[in-house]
Amino acid sequence: MASGYDRALSGTCAVGVKGSDVVVLGCEKRSAMKLQDTRITPSKIGLIDTHVCLAFAGLNADARILVDKARLEAQSHRLNLEDPVTIEYITKYVAGVQQRYTQSGGVRPFGISTLIVGFDKGNDQPRLYQTEPSGIYSAWKANAIGRSSKTVREFLERNYKEDMDREATVRLAIKSLLEVVQTGAKNIEIAIMAPGKPVEMLPVEDIESYVKNIEQEKQEEAAKKKTGRTPGTGSAAILTRSAQDEPGDH
Amino acid sequence: MSRRYDSRTTIFSPDGRLYQVEYALEAISHAGTAIGILAKDGIVLAAERKVTSKLLEQDTSAEKLYILNDNMICAVAGMTADANILINYARQAAQRYLLTYNEDIPCEQLVRRLCDLKQGYTQHGGLRPFGVSFIYAGWDPQRQFQLYLSNPSGNYGGWKATSSGANHASAQSLLKQDYKEDCTLKEACGMAVKVLSKTMDSTKLSSEKIEFATVGQTKDGKIYHKLWSAEEITALLKEHDLAKDETTEERRARHDRREGK
Amino acid sequence: MPEVLLGITGKDFTLIAASKAAMRGATILKAADDKTRQLNKHTLMAFSGEAGDTVQFAEYIQANAQLYSMRNETDLSPSALAHFVRGELASSLRSRKPYNVNLLLGGVDPITHQPSLYWLDYLASLAPVPYAAHGYAQYYCLSLLDKHHQPDITLERGMELLTLCADELKRRLPIDFKGLIVKAVTKDGIKEMPFDNDKVVKGT
Repeated sequence: MASGYDRALSGTCAVGVKGSDVVVLGCEKRSAMKLQDTRITPSKIGLIDTHVCLAFAGLNADARILVDKARLEAQSHRLNLEDPVTIEYITKYVAGVQQRYTQSGGVRPFGISTLIVGFDKGNDQPRLYQTEPSGIYSAWKANAIGRSSKTVREFLERNYKEDMDREATVRLAIKSLLEVVQTGAKNIEIAIMAPGKPVEMLPVEDIESYVKNIEQEKQEEAAKKKTGRTPGTGSAAILTRSAQDEPGDH
Repeated sequence: MSRRYDSRTTIFSPDGRLYQVEYALEAISHAGTAIGILAKDGIVLAAERKVTSKLLEQDTSAEKLYILNDNMICAVAGMTADANILINYARQAAQRYLLTYNEDIPCEQLVRRLCDLKQGYTQHGGLRPFGVSFIYAGWDPQRQFQLYLSNPSGNYGGWKATSSGANHASAQSLLKQDYKEDCTLKEACGMAVKVLSKTMDSTKLSSEKIEFATVGQTKDGKIYHKLWSAEEITALLKEHDLAKDETTEERRARHDRREGK
Repeated sequence: MPEVLLGITGKDFTLIAASKAAMRGATILKAADDKTRQLNKHTLMAFSGEAGDTVQFAEYIQANAQLYSMRNETDLSPSALAHFVRGELASSLRSRKPYNVNLLLGGVDPITHQPSLYWLDYLASLAPVPYAAHGYAQYYCLSLLDKHHQPDITLERGMELLTLCADELKRRLPIDFKGLIVKAVTKDGIKEMPFDNDKVVKGT
């Protein structure tokens, strides 16, 4: 059944990465056509509440409806329970809604996967969850959804490290997106969350400098490989990604 | 081949498509062209009216351009009957917002209300999606003049110039060619008739074949919207040398009609 | 009625003050009560009336204002909020059990930066005003403000006027309202202002 959503889910790619004290959402952003009004480009990263951030991959219109339901639940929770929602609670809620639409008659499921990140009130533990159209939800250290999510996830699996600082976390998020986003910084959106702080959308210039830095490092590595190659061994020309191609932690 | 996935409630096909929505888009691609252009001091909407029979009364009010509220108008491409339902809904939503907050509804919110309704029809029970695209032109204090396009799936986006309906692809590339940032409303009107004249089948236009509307700002800062009269459209066409020469016979007929004979 | 609510607008700010005493009959239950709720970045609401009703209603409005902000990624203007609150009060008034709440709603427009103040009572009256008071405080303070208030006053002058009002209340209101909590709304947001509640006013 899940195979039916493949296309619906293949819009753009989104990643989430947890660091030691931050959690980062990264998103592929379609470049605006010449005549598009750049003031009004619906983002694929949205706030559910001041401390919960959501990124989605899939049908835009479906996401709007689902996000709206989650926002309503978040405020209703604040009003009735006098506490903001925990990240797990709102994830469970979103997944619950998605599940309901797979089971009730006369409706089709939501064609979206989501990544939900944030910090619970009074807690410094970063949270990262994924929900799927089927209603399954799961917690992750780092994950990707949407187009080529498999490639990105595999990249994250190879390069994820425990206890990354803010810098390294953002860098990993951007670097993993660059695996599938060719066009660079202007097509990447980055949201950073830290405990007790409002969400921070990384300015495009900052993303630009990360991208430059990453590309430079890639070139250096490639150059190193070339020089390190002993002549005669043709096999070295086969480019395989190994665990050594990790991002430096500077 | 797709029988199982397109005859009842909209559901995903095995490759994740929504056939009903795609059919709705198909329906729109046969409708008369509608275009919208954002200028620095206003917005122009223009639409092609398909004249199917000579016997049709042409004096009836606009059928492709509608006023949504005091600061927003829209152009329709697609099934007019569906559009009427949605326009009625939008007008009610706008008035409800005005009643609740004593302020005009922000443009994007009104667009979103409509799109949420459209989205609902692609997801919920046993109904087909709405077969209409809209081009919206409006103004609000936060973002000034704005132009939007929405389609049957419930997606929408903001544009500087956009088109919908038959030949929208060629209209879009013409707009891309001709659009100038910071153009005036007057220039935008000129661009609109030129694009329409090239995308419509007939080479010479007449006020009977197109509809025109503008949103602008008066000298004292008030926002106005205006559906153009036949005379104003003719004048604009003349100015750009696109008007069809009216035969004496037609002129007399038009004169008689106005006199009520 | 023994609760004090005051509001003053100026050139680029709105001040709202509320008494700190939470009372039930003749008893003071709490001396550091905050009778205000922040609705969004630029709008503050102060409330008085029947205990229970007030907080319930204010937090309901607050939740709706915040929901609007999350949904639309933009805040409602103070004027829009005032009319929304009036609508809610009006429908409550015609229900089986109406809310008994009086309100002052002050803010700064997020786009034009114009300060504004709205006076609302439990009968769903709404009036935009340059300065306002609720309860018994009206009898003592409105005349003072009428004499001294100007539309283009600075925040410092606004605080002086509030001190003037507080002095008068201490002198003549036969109830200990436990001082005022004062909050200022400017284009930069809402902040609590230091206010000397221990000042001894030479009496009668």
